[in-house]
Amino acid sequence: MRVRLRFFAALRERMGARAERSVEPGTTVGALWRALVAERPELAATRVRIAVNETYVEPSHRLADGDEVAFFPPVSGGA
Amino acid sequence: MFRIVRTPIVLDRLVRAVRDPAAGALVVFLGTTRNQNAGRRVVRLEYEAYDRMAVAEMRRLAAQAKRRWPIRKVAMAHRIGFVPIGRASVAIVVSAGHRAPAFAACRWLIDRLKAIVPIWKREHFRGGRVWIGPQSGAPRRARAARRPGG
Repeated sequence: MRVRLRFFAALRERMGARAERSVEPGTTVGALWRALVAERPELAATRVRIAVNETYVEPSHRLADGDEVAFFPPVSGGA
Repeated sequence: MFRIVRTPIVLDRLVRAVRDPAAGALVVFLGTTRNQNAGRRVVRLEYEAYDRMAVAEMRRLAAQAKRRWPIRKVAMAHRIGFVPIGRASVAIVVSAGHRAPAFAACRWLIDRLKAIVPIWKREHFRGGRVWIGPQSGAPRRARAARRPGG
């Protein structure tokens, strides 16, 4: 199945803003992140938060076809 | 009204959005861009947002605030892109029957916004620029602890 990836802030600068990826059914977002890190070891130390379809999820969250998965550093909005 | 804007925040629009005949108090918080941080002179600030999720999280926070305090209406706006020093980057307006819950809810909303709404700040200073917030280290739970003001 296919999922859409989005990256923000410092992660966007390393990964690009958007991507698409094929994953096996049942893949968790944590496993997807580990797969990205395996391809780009420089990401290993990155502190990441993950949202699926605009909602925060835990690493154990299972992906569904067509999901939008966002990876980003801890937020720092405000003033 | 919950918005991510690329142009200066127009406070009057937010105030109009929370007007309510049952309100006896209307509290405004403006977060403004500061010219220094951690001893370093900041020449300008830049913000990036995950727009739709940011608006969705603002709505969720407002709904939570309405369950916690007897308030009437909430409006929130965050500016993104480059923001000159001394201007508003975020605005929160709360109306309520009385001032105490309006102040309390407004204070809680800005603290929660800074902790969970997906917006990122980058400080530009002489000779460089840096994203603010912990970029590396041990993974944390999805709901971050409250950060001190910054």
